[in-house]
Amino acid sequence: MSRRKTNAGWRRYWPRLLLVVPFLGVLWVPAYNRIEPTFAGIPFFYWYQLAWVLLGAVIVFAVYLIETRLTGASDKPDLGSSGGSPGDVL
Amino acid sequence: MKFDLTATAIFVALFVLVTWLGFVAAHWRKADLNRLHEWGLGGRRFGTAVTWFLLGGDLYTAYAFIALPALVFGAGAIGFFVIPYAIVIYPILYLIFPRLWAEAHRLGHVTAADYVRERFGSRLLALAVAVTGIVATMPYIAVQLIGMEVVIGALGFSTRGFFGHLPLIIAFVVLASFTYTSGLRAPALIAIVKDVLIFVTVFAAVVIIPAQLGGYGAIFSAVPQEKLTLTPPAEGNVGDYSAYVTLALGSGLALFLYPHALTGVLSASSGNVIRRNAALLSAYSFLVGLIALLGYMAIAAGVDSKPEFAAGFSQYGPNFAVPALFLASFPSWFVGVAFASIAIGALVPAAIMSIACANLFTRNLYKEFWRPDCSEADEARIAKIVSLIVKVGAVVFILAIPQTYAIQLQLLGGIWIIQLLPPVVLGLYSRSFNAPALLAGWAAGTASGTYMAATQGFTSSIYPLTVFGVTLPVYAALYSLLINFVVAIALTPLFDLLARRSAASTAR
Repeated sequence: MSRRKTNAGWRRYWPRLLLVVPFLGVLWVPAYNRIEPTFAGIPFFYWYQLAWVLLGAVIVFAVYLIETRLTGASDKPDLGSSGGSPGDVL
Repeated sequence: MKFDLTATAIFVALFVLVTWLGFVAAHWRKADLNRLHEWGLGGRRFGTAVTWFLLGGDLYTAYAFIALPALVFGAGAIGFFVIPYAIVIYPILYLIFPRLWAEAHRLGHVTAADYVRERFGSRLLALAVAVTGIVATMPYIAVQLIGMEVVIGALGFSTRGFFGHLPLIIAFVVLASFTYTSGLRAPALIAIVKDVLIFVTVFAAVVIIPAQLGGYGAIFSAVPQEKLTLTPPAEGNVGDYSAYVTLALGSGLALFLYPHALTGVLSASSGNVIRRNAALLSAYSFLVGLIALLGYMAIAAGVDSKPEFAAGFSQYGPNFAVPALFLASFPSWFVGVAFASIAIGALVPAAIMSIACANLFTRNLYKEFWRPDCSEADEARIAKIVSLIVKVGAVVFILAIPQTYAIQLQLLGGIWIIQLLPPVVLGLYSRSFNAPALLAGWAAGTASGTYMAATQGFTSSIYPLTVFGVTLPVYAALYSLLINFVVAIALTPLFDLLARRSAASTAR
């Protein structure tokens, strides 16, 4: 029983492992604490981190899409809610 | 400073616009505002777009827009910890908070302390959560006034003496009245104006100012080399690296435990609204990176050596860097727009923070300890009155007490609020922790974190711990959170055992 439950959990929630990636990208400072290569006059330290803002957003959105479209992890666990009310988008 | 009529006129006009919006918000998505979840959570009906504006306006405060470039202006690269911070908060938001939203929605919770009360059945632990929330938020409201005062001063008003404080007092009276009548609907609606103004201001700034200064290359070469990167590790010390990373991670873990952030999260209409926003809110993270760069632009523009800004810098210190940069680079009318975006940027979080404090006080102190049988209408009435008191308190605080105290308390607030992580988050995932152990952990974390900040004279939250001859400067919030966790984990089996013993002895 518990093994089957774990497997179902994996199938639904594996995309969430991707959410570790932004942490790896920005929390290891020695990887980006330098000036070269510059980009349009902006030192590496700055454009590297700003680029991770965009990458981080893409990763989170990808996890959301995979969960809602493929594994179905995100469309149900809002216990007790009807989910898509008309005001959902606005 | 020279009084700028055009800028002031635009500034006042925008302020009048948001005041009007604040009052008409009472009729937006009309509902009975005499119920706490309508007044204090907007009826939990905000969809993806409104939540995006609301949380964006809530989390990126006016104080940050002033103090962050000021930090970069003075200290350089270390100030950019806000970028990794603004990146890691969204995976955290995605993973944890839709779950808390679902629990709160199912059981009608309005605050984190409501959830803890129900989950662990402990009034004392819920009290600790509520009091920590209120105490950490009050100075946060007060520092918003600092941001507002700087731009009012930069418009050419004197901000000394009673008449100097008058614009600030008027702004807060206005804020207090529309929060009282419209509740969370007011900041939600005003946030739309605020966010649009801030985006316009910052994008104009990062295009126009570099063009005036000769491009980004010229800006970065004007900054002293040693400020551009973090101090690398040297013999026996890891330099700025550990401080940078732990400031980002610690502030990131703490953010959504702040009552005003949770109020924004709980007012969403579904868990998926929160998940979508975990991706979409990154637009503000990018914005915050650009805002930090304004500090370097102020260095390159040499605003601190211009005689017309000398008085401003002597009164407000590095906090004057961004207003001075805008005054030096923009035409008067756009200075009005830019300053209004900062002042309105103070109103939105201040309103939500006061609502969040009012919700905590009403639900977890008043109803829990004084009037358990109070009606829904009583609840809403008390919350409205408390939201007024909180704002009066913030104004008195900032006018009567030296500003450095507000700043130091806000710094301590970050250390205190992170201690709520075990009670609020562990309960969502595990049944194995018990209330007394979590309470002991909270007490140990709060005490040790406060002690670490005290050893730094309350001026820095970086605590240089020396282990085996290596100095490891780390954000005190993270060290103390670790202590909190260790105590909670160690004491849980002990309290379980005691509970079983006493259950067994009563059974016999």
